[in-house]
Amino acid sequence: MDLAFGTLLSPMVLFFLLGLVVALLKSQMTIPEAFAKGLAIYLMMSIGLKGGVAISKGDLGWDAGFVMIWAIALSFLLPVIAYALLRTTTRLSEVDAAATAAHYGSISIVTFVAAGQATAAAGLETSGYLVAVAALMEVPAIISALVIARRGAGKTSAVAGSDRGELTREVLLNASVVVLLGSLLIGWVTGEAGMKTVAPFFVDPFQGVLCLFLLDMGLSAGRGLRNGWRQLGPGSIAFGVYMPLISASLAAGVAALNAMGAGDAALLITLAASASYIAVPAAMRLALPKAKPSIYLTLSLGITFPFNLIVGLPLYIWLANAISAGVA
Amino acid sequence: MHSRLRLELIIERMAAPRACKLLEAAGLTGYTVLPALSGFGGQTRWSRDADMSASSDMVVLISIGAEAQVRAALNELESLLGSHIGVLSVGEVQVLRPGRF
Repeated sequence: MDLAFGTLLSPMVLFFLLGLVVALLKSQMTIPEAFAKGLAIYLMMSIGLKGGVAISKGDLGWDAGFVMIWAIALSFLLPVIAYALLRTTTRLSEVDAAATAAHYGSISIVTFVAAGQATAAAGLETSGYLVAVAALMEVPAIISALVIARRGAGKTSAVAGSDRGELTREVLLNASVVVLLGSLLIGWVTGEAGMKTVAPFFVDPFQGVLCLFLLDMGLSAGRGLRNGWRQLGPGSIAFGVYMPLISASLAAGVAALNAMGAGDAALLITLAASASYIAVPAAMRLALPKAKPSIYLTLSLGITFPFNLIVGLPLYIWLANAISAGVA
Repeated sequence: MHSRLRLELIIERMAAPRACKLLEAAGLTGYTVLPALSGFGGQTRWSRDADMSASSDMVVLISIGAEAQVRAALNELESLLGSHIGVLSVGEVQVLRPGRF
């Protein structure tokens, strides 16, 4: 209970709630678009660098390799489960269900960052390689969803003006993957000495920048909900809440199988439970343009992200602690 | 002054490169892309402020050309709009330097 209150009353969650509430109240307040995108890149660079530095200290062994393989497998599997649930419990079309499923197999990097802060506040240690796990979990879900969608739709002709490489470029070279993996590599190569030179920019202001970014996330989530809630039925809204719990349970099993520590388990569980709202929507607009963005964006950003931030994080940390105690 | 056709396409940002490629293939000699801020259509309100991914952002694509090129572009754009969200309109305009269009 202390953990739940501690997370709920943290500045990052309160700033998110502030943004959410004022957006729902139709406030015209905005954070300039280009500035918000800059904040997202800053956060990804910061956690990438920190992860890379941790790896440079010998954080990457066989255990980490096995976790990465399991994480990729989870990212392939989760959209299959999500699609089956969406098709049986909602009235979403095949293409809408496939596009939505892709979001739930991929990850939300901001939820991951928030989980990093929450685990640190709970006194749990985490490993740097989880940043690489986050980057690796971005893409497989997109592939799964495309396979599902194409099985449903049969062979379809190419969209006019499209070229063969555009989807691959978008999926493999999107900002999340490039910045996360690039920063991880730079942090790994430059190590602690390199980190010291950039720490005043990338370490000290991190929490304040995260609050600013979460204020913007709250505004986006609130406006997304206000604009798109009519597209969601009760089944879809329920899916936005129970699907993260299913994903978290599966990730908890992976964490137990790999005897992960509580901090690392909490991050893996959070990654699996989170839903993408940056990398996957862009890929879906190219690959499945007939899917309605108002459905998958409202679900992932308006329902699942707030759920994970407010209710999910303390629950996932509790679950990780329970697994870790059981394993030990 | 000389008559030409002005093509205006409001389309999702992610599909704009596809539309631009079709305009070039149709022989149109130029186009301009402008950002759109917010709107309403298909029972949904949309706004640049509500989408972190910017994947559902819309842009306005404007091109002016001779009738033959614009008609050729319309055939292809109709197919593109079968998949992507967008609104297309064409109107007659007067231009000062016909050799440019």
